[in-house]
Amino acid sequence: MHIVEINNLSKQFGRKIAISSLSFDIKKGETVALIGPSGAGKSTLLNILAGSIPPDTGIYLLDGKPIQQYKNRRELANKIGVIRQQFDLVPALPAIHNVLAGRLGEWGFFKSMLSLFVPQDKQAAANALQRVGLLDKMHDQTSRMSGGEQQRVAMARLLVQNPEVILADEPVASLDPARAEDILEMLTKLVAEEKQTLVMSLHSVEYAKKYFSRIVALRDGEIFFDLPTEDITKEHLTGLYSLKELSQE
Amino acid sequence: MKELLAPLKTHNRSVLTLLLLAAFIWSLFSVTWSRDLVHAGGWTTTVQIFEGLIKPDLSPEIVALAIESSWVTVVYAVTGMTVALIIAFIFGILGSGVLFSSHAVRVIAMGIFRGILATIRAIHELVWALLFVAVIGLSPYAAVFALGIPYGGILGRILADMINDVPKEPIQALRAAGASRLQCLLYGYLPLVRANMISYTMYRFECSIRSSAIMSFVGLGGLGYQIQLSLSDLNYDEVWTFLFFLIAIVVLIDAWSNSLRKRLVL
Ligand SMILES: Nc1ncnc2c1ncn2[C@@H]1O[C@H](COP(=O)(O)OP(=O)(O)OP(=O)(O)O)[C@@H](O)[C@H]1O
Ligand SMILES: [Mg+2]
Repeated sequence: MHIVEINNLSKQFGRKIAISSLSFDIKKGETVALIGPSGAGKSTLLNILAGSIPPDTGIYLLDGKPIQQYKNRRELANKIGVIRQQFDLVPALPAIHNVLAGRLGEWGFFKSMLSLFVPQDKQAAANALQRVGLLDKMHDQTSRMSGGEQQRVAMARLLVQNPEVILADEPVASLDPARAEDILEMLTKLVAEEKQTLVMSLHSVEYAKKYFSRIVALRDGEIFFDLPTEDITKEHLTGLYSLKELSQE
Repeated sequence: MKELLAPLKTHNRSVLTLLLLAAFIWSLFSVTWSRDLVHAGGWTTTVQIFEGLIKPDLSPEIVALAIESSWVTVVYAVTGMTVALIIAFIFGILGSGVLFSSHAVRVIAMGIFRGILATIRAIHELVWALLFVAVIGLSPYAAVFALGIPYGGILGRILADMINDVPKEPIQALRAAGASRLQCLLYGYLPLVRANMISYTMYRFECSIRSSAIMSFVGLGGLGYQIQLSLSDLNYDEVWTFLFFLIAIVVLIDAWSNSLRKRLVL
């Protein structure tokens, strides 16, 4: 039922406490927005959830199994996919290979090498690019694409990878508002179609309310509130950000 | 103590610059700038050399010889660069350490493979040529390996550095998508360094033409050998013919590498 369960999670960088005793669960199919001021620990939390940094203390169960027990990258890649700002693509490769990189977990070395010359699973890549509206740019060099297009290529890669949970760290931070809404709309739609779970950090409360079913607010590494979107009031939000000003003084 | 040393550190660079400058000036004084440093018959020779420049020997035999020697020089350079690239690829990738997951293994491997690269490039190609000529005689293999080994050391070092300087986000994303280290090499590191590596290799290829020509001074055939023969006969017009061929090769490679680079811009 719960795909992600965390209990008493903490993480410290030197003397700086980035995450302190966080506990919450995420149900399959939920869309969770992580909001909160800069330095609240959103990226740190997402990195822990992705398994790319280990927590100092606490328990993190992914689909009922402690994250440390996912020894195999491929097994983890089936569960969790990550999307960040558009810098996580390889600019020198054509879009199709960036998309097919989502298959690397399943492919062996020789198949992945062959694919650079004769694309394997081309149909899967084409389908994914079609769904993000970039079929005609399949063979374009990724570096020549706009920021929004690159972010859609990254989404196509996630479609090919097809993990159960998608973690997104400010995926629209460097896009203009129209492009950002495009990407958010597309991503939440795809997640709903694939019955995936989505956790995304965002700076915009407005987008969080518009596209997500649940909002978790972090402040100084702690949960400030964790509510269904419809229960969130102005007071909650002014609280979150006014406290930020207090703590900065 | 650290606070005391801090300003020293910021001045380190200027201190070093001053030291190097002083060493340079001192070296100027240690040369005896006397008249015996200059060749007595220098003027007549200079005139002859300039005459050769204006009227290079374009007789069919010399031109044919120049074409043949150019061919030898280019072949040595190309084969030498192939050897160099193979060495660079293997040792550069291993020396970058990106294939090793354990920290300890990575550090040791980087030390070993970068050490090997440093050793083979510390020895100049001419020295390698003399060594190989001593061991296997005046064979083309001597020229090819004499070129390939030190150039492999240089290219391998550059490749390892470029791989280490790649932005980390794309690699992390590949890892997150389930890619193994070898797959990260294929889909991340190598495409990310490709354009720079190709343009650096082309530049080195140009250098290898010069090296290949120079190396033939030890008797391995090619443009350098012909230049040496003509020089010892004081036939400056022939020397210039061979030099023009050498320049033409370098210019052609430069043009080729420019067009390659244009196609490869990121
Ligand atoms: N690798 C690290 N080394 C040291 N400190 C770190 C590291 N990563 C994060 N921190 C610190 O941990 C705290 C939380 O950082 P984090 O990046 O998670 O915040 P964030 O909520 O994502 O902020 P933003 O909205 O600006 O992205 C910050 O104070 C940051 O300085
Ligand atoms: Mg962040």
